[in-house]
Amino acid sequence: MIVPRRVALRSLFALAVTAFTGGALGRIAIRPESGGTRDPHAFDEMYRGRRLLGFSGPGGEPTALVDGRPLHLMRCADGGYVTPIDHYESCPTPLAATRAAVDELGTARLSPLAAAHGVTDPTGGSPRGVHA
Amino acid sequence: MVYTRKNQRDLTAAERRKFVAAVLELKRTGAYDRFVRTHIDHYTADGGGRLRIAHMTPSFLPWHRKFLLEFETALRRIDPTVSVPYWDWTRDNSPASSIWREDFMGGNGRRADLQVMTGPFAHSAGHWTITQSMTDGKYLTRDFGRPRDPITLPTATQLDEVMRERVYDAAPWNSTSATGFRNALEGWAPGRGNERFRIHNRVHRWVGGLMLGGGSVNDPVFWLHHSFVDLVWSRWQQRNPGAAYLPAEPPPLGDAQYRKVAARHEPMAPWGVTPASMFDHSRIYRYV
Repeated sequence: MIVPRRVALRSLFALAVTAFTGGALGRIAIRPESGGTRDPHAFDEMYRGRRLLGFSGPGGEPTALVDGRPLHLMRCADGGYVTPIDHYESCPTPLAATRAAVDELGTARLSPLAAAHGVTDPTGGSPRGVHA
Repeated sequence: MVYTRKNQRDLTAAERRKFVAAVLELKRTGAYDRFVRTHIDHYTADGGGRLRIAHMTPSFLPWHRKFLLEFETALRRIDPTVSVPYWDWTRDNSPASSIWREDFMGGNGRRADLQVMTGPFAHSAGHWTITQSMTDGKYLTRDFGRPRDPITLPTATQLDEVMRERVYDAAPWNSTSATGFRNALEGWAPGRGNERFRIHNRVHRWVGGLMLGGGSVNDPVFWLHHSFVDLVWSRWQQRNPGAAYLPAEPPPLGDAQYRKVAARHEPMAPWGVTPASMFDHSRIYRYV
């Protein structure tokens, strides 16, 4: 997907800021642009004691943070999303999938593995670190 | 020499002990956690643009057959008398079933944090620390039957329906395939509530805890579950000797599944074996 460089950089910056501040500056990610267009993947809520933050990633894909930690949202063929925490429930929206993951988390926090998931490159290269 | 895989309910106390000891030894050496990581690294959902080799895809069955064989080979290097038993969840379908006893898989997680407190794989027993997981939790978790949204294990009647499929798989070769044995067994379905979770998927959901997500291999019952899934496939193959793996050829350029699924003679990462080469296991192991 082609994303304007400015948008991509802003999203990357927002991802980096929230990842490094535990979401304290998270609202920057969902602030409307000067043109007034709201990020279609934006959410920012407290749910079961967790801070859930959603925004568009560098490629325009929905991205979620739970207490500042990235949660991989995987698109399914039925149009829904699954996460590394719950592989089996395809949820209709990124927010619903993020809430479903929190429902299963209990007292645990997300690990770096939850940020990116699924390597099929036969050379063994990993997308992790790029996405996270 | 062909070896056998047995129903876990028929294992003797000595056989249970040997299986558990071999698994714990694999964990001690670090090899177990590499199996966990392999499974994590090959999970790709079917709404994206990437190749799917392990789930939501025709090669779900041969990929897991090879995965189990690799695990079993590692176990048998430790103890040549061990094989991966199977859990027939249509029969042993309750938290009271013997599979969950203290000398085998251990029991359910406790209410407060879902931590498994009994059996050899309880963190508190000292031999089972989770390292490859989607959370920072160090202990095995389970949530039998999902009490806040209750679900039951698949029934023999439901499994019979799956066995009536006559074609291995069908377009669009993913979680929305409405017919075909593979998706009927893998268990993706439309609908509402628990109707959506069938057979293989439903068992992961019933056990809950780590079995629900990318780190499901952290629960040793993963192997017993997939041993039974493989048995079901094996029985289906016997009933349908003419039903070859599909798709036979890679979906062509222009097809929505172009380069997203493994055709009959295409290699499956990370081993490079083809679905066709995994079709016949009769010279390696058999189910009793």
